[in-house]
Amino acid sequence: MIQANQTSDEAKRDRVRELIEGVLSLDQLADLQRETKTGDRAEIVLAIEQARVSWDDRILVPLQENLYVVERGDGARVVKCYCGQEFGDYRRNWKEQALVYERHPQDGVVFQPNKGADPVWQSLREFYCPNCATQLDVEPVPVGYPFVFNFLPDLGE
Amino acid sequence: MTITTPRSLKERLFESEELFRETGVYESDLSMKETDPVTFEVLFTRLLQTLTNAREVALSISASPSTREQGEIIFGLFTAEGDAVCLSTGLMIHVHTMSRAIKWMINNDYETRMGFHEGDYFFNNDSFIGGGHPSDQMLMTPFFANGELEGWIGGLTHVTETGAVEPGAMGSSFTSRFAEGLILPCMRIAANDELFYDFDVLVDRGVRSSISWLADNRAKLTGNLIIRDKVKELLGEVGLDVYRKVCREYIEDTRRATHEKVRRSLFPGRYREVAWRGVTIKNLERLMHSPCELVVSREGRLSLSFEGLPSAQRQPFQSTLPLFEGMLFNGLIQNIFYDLRYNDGTFLAIDLHVPYGSACNPDNIQLPTTLWGPAYGGMQACSQAVSRAYFAKGYREEVHASGPLTSGNLAGGKDQYGRHFGSQCFEFASSGMYATSFMDGLDTAFSDFNAEGDMGDAEIWEQQMPQVWLAREIRKDGGGFGKFRGGNGIHSLYMIPEGIEMEIGAFGSPPIFSTAGLMGGYPAAALRVWIGTGTNVQAQIEAGNPLPNTEGFDLPIPQFVQDVKADWYCVLGQNVPTASLEPFSLFSVVSGDGGGYGDPLLRAPADIVRDVENGLSGTRVAADVYGVVVNIGSDGAVTYDQDATETLRARHRRERLERGVPAAQYKLRERERLVKGDIPEPARAMYRDVMQISPIWAAEFRSFWDLPEEFEVSK
Repeated sequence: MIQANQTSDEAKRDRVRELIEGVLSLDQLADLQRETKTGDRAEIVLAIEQARVSWDDRILVPLQENLYVVERGDGARVVKCYCGQEFGDYRRNWKEQALVYERHPQDGVVFQPNKGADPVWQSLREFYCPNCATQLDVEPVPVGYPFVFNFLPDLGE
Repeated sequence: MTITTPRSLKERLFESEELFRETGVYESDLSMKETDPVTFEVLFTRLLQTLTNAREVALSISASPSTREQGEIIFGLFTAEGDAVCLSTGLMIHVHTMSRAIKWMINNDYETRMGFHEGDYFFNNDSFIGGGHPSDQMLMTPFFANGELEGWIGGLTHVTETGAVEPGAMGSSFTSRFAEGLILPCMRIAANDELFYDFDVLVDRGVRSSISWLADNRAKLTGNLIIRDKVKELLGEVGLDVYRKVCREYIEDTRRATHEKVRRSLFPGRYREVAWRGVTIKNLERLMHSPCELVVSREGRLSLSFEGLPSAQRQPFQSTLPLFEGMLFNGLIQNIFYDLRYNDGTFLAIDLHVPYGSACNPDNIQLPTTLWGPAYGGMQACSQAVSRAYFAKGYREEVHASGPLTSGNLAGGKDQYGRHFGSQCFEFASSGMYATSFMDGLDTAFSDFNAEGDMGDAEIWEQQMPQVWLAREIRKDGGGFGKFRGGNGIHSLYMIPEGIEMEIGAFGSPPIFSTAGLMGGYPAAALRVWIGTGTNVQAQIEAGNPLPNTEGFDLPIPQFVQDVKADWYCVLGQNVPTASLEPFSLFSVVSGDGGGYGDPLLRAPADIVRDVENGLSGTRVAADVYGVVVNIGSDGAVTYDQDATETLRARHRRERLERGVPAAQYKLRERERLVKGDIPEPARAMYRDVMQISPIWAAEFRSFWDLPEEFEVSK
């Protein structure tokens, strides 16, 4: 019985791992979506993510693709990239520590002129990790719009 | 001896709302559910089945492609006080808007001034009372038991012609509510289950083409009748006390389940997203943001605030509060509460702040609310915030970028049979789906506003709108680029045929990205219209030459524009007021596309190869956006070069590091522009407006840019 449970848990973990890696079959994905959300997924994901990264800081919550809030050895809670780059205290917007590039919305590289915004109205603000250069966010915004602080997790005490 | 007089509906409604305000619960216990859960569920299933069945019957009665082909219809069952108990599938935006309208009648003394009788039907398309815009038309009927009004049934359809200044009801040029056509606030249009003849006459003479409106009324009346009979049958079986009690428990059960679902599914915290809309009317041009703040508490409380919305003005890209509530709950039901009962319990469980006087809660009922603007954007932003909350909790199978903007074309005139027509074409209910955290968005298969939406057959649309489809194809590279790309929408190319009179236009957005990407994904492409007049198409037809039928891919100028000699012009964003076009003119529109997800450089090369194979993308985009070197062999076989791809991706990453500047440095540069007043007018108009009406948003703006308290955006 215990063995059966263990197998079931392992299967569950494998399915979630495949989901995170983007290789889960559509049938299994549909099964996953239909399942009742019991609130215990976070633990499974944290374990999988912790095993994927190359550093030891404890992941408290995955903030978004490639970014995590971690607890360092000194107790500080900071935003950290998959590559190890840190973005400072999680209570401040990580974008303040990123590289920023303002892309012309019709530059012909990403968007052709009849598919991009009028530059008088908007441009594309791209945020990169200063270490691994992953594109972490793209904000279509007008001149002078403050960075959007997308997520401030409630980590409790 | 004590004589008790029956309480009025107005008193009952007041007491019900007071009780909720005081206790925070809709019904104090769930004794029915707890003592006999099987009967509790069976009864609800019967109600749901009745409503869904009525919807299917009504679909077959309607003559409108919008209703019949796209399913723009919903039915609901309400308590005597107007709270939604159960809804059919369909237009989920209206979970709450019919409830609003019933309560409006009760609060405005219809019971004493008009009287409510079984067999009465009340029509409403006043969006300040309930609904979204005059196209959203509801028909509500009360039903009685033991001589007392026991509940309401309502049906709603989206009708494609309202007698507005522009044909097709949803013009982008309206500056007054009085441009929106016939607006009828909660009028009795039937008694004893018989529609009034003079109402048919009013509609027939008041709009360009009355068939959709009148046939939809009959469809809704039929659906309501079916539901009334079945509900009364059920009521007779279980008795009045049980019926009343279960109805209240269904709502309370949903309210509790809503909190529980939030607690189990979403990570607690504060989430912020912004979506964009704007106004393109001459001299009123301005951007409008829709700033969404979602707070998830540890106890499962969900609060939504839209502090900082622009003010309501004389332009059509705004909404009433009932519509905004409807949009948000539509999004929340699809994203979180899809497995709960659809009723007002969800509405009661959520705190919502929409500033009075804002573009989603106007303080002037003479303003137009035709095209919703930041209300639709608010739903997109809310959905992205919810996706982040799912992501943090580990439920990545629920994570997605923004869904597509709704766009469409309008036309009116006289068709080849000499009949007047006016309509909007909602083939755009099949837009591009958002990218998710695990797969690309589906092409031409999605709309946020109606999860069951379909594009409808072009041949059916041609009967209602006599434009001729030269092309209907999947848009190329429309979906936002990303690790997973957004779904592509539709590109349609219409020709104005001979022998008709036609004015044609479109609605969409200003020239902006209106559908954001998520977590490194790009937004969907901007919408656009191409209009060609004085074309050589007639000569091409007479010569038997091929007609234009594609926009091609990755071209600064679409293929059909290159192929057809004409006076061409392009309107980015797709807001084009209707105007007459001569025969053989061409009109090209696109539907919305989905936002992208994640860094494009992390996209699997095989997925790019597949897009190139399917003719949805090209080698230039593969290299420049995705860093994948794709080769097309002489036999047409598509492959990619792994080594060259790795080299190219490394080069792209190097270039990012070279061109990116530290955020602090970027902020200093931007701050300087603000201080100098170097702000283009559309944004300047928005900042001035928002900072004036929202001191909270203004303070955050100044704080972010480290500007003094007295800083104002100059004129």
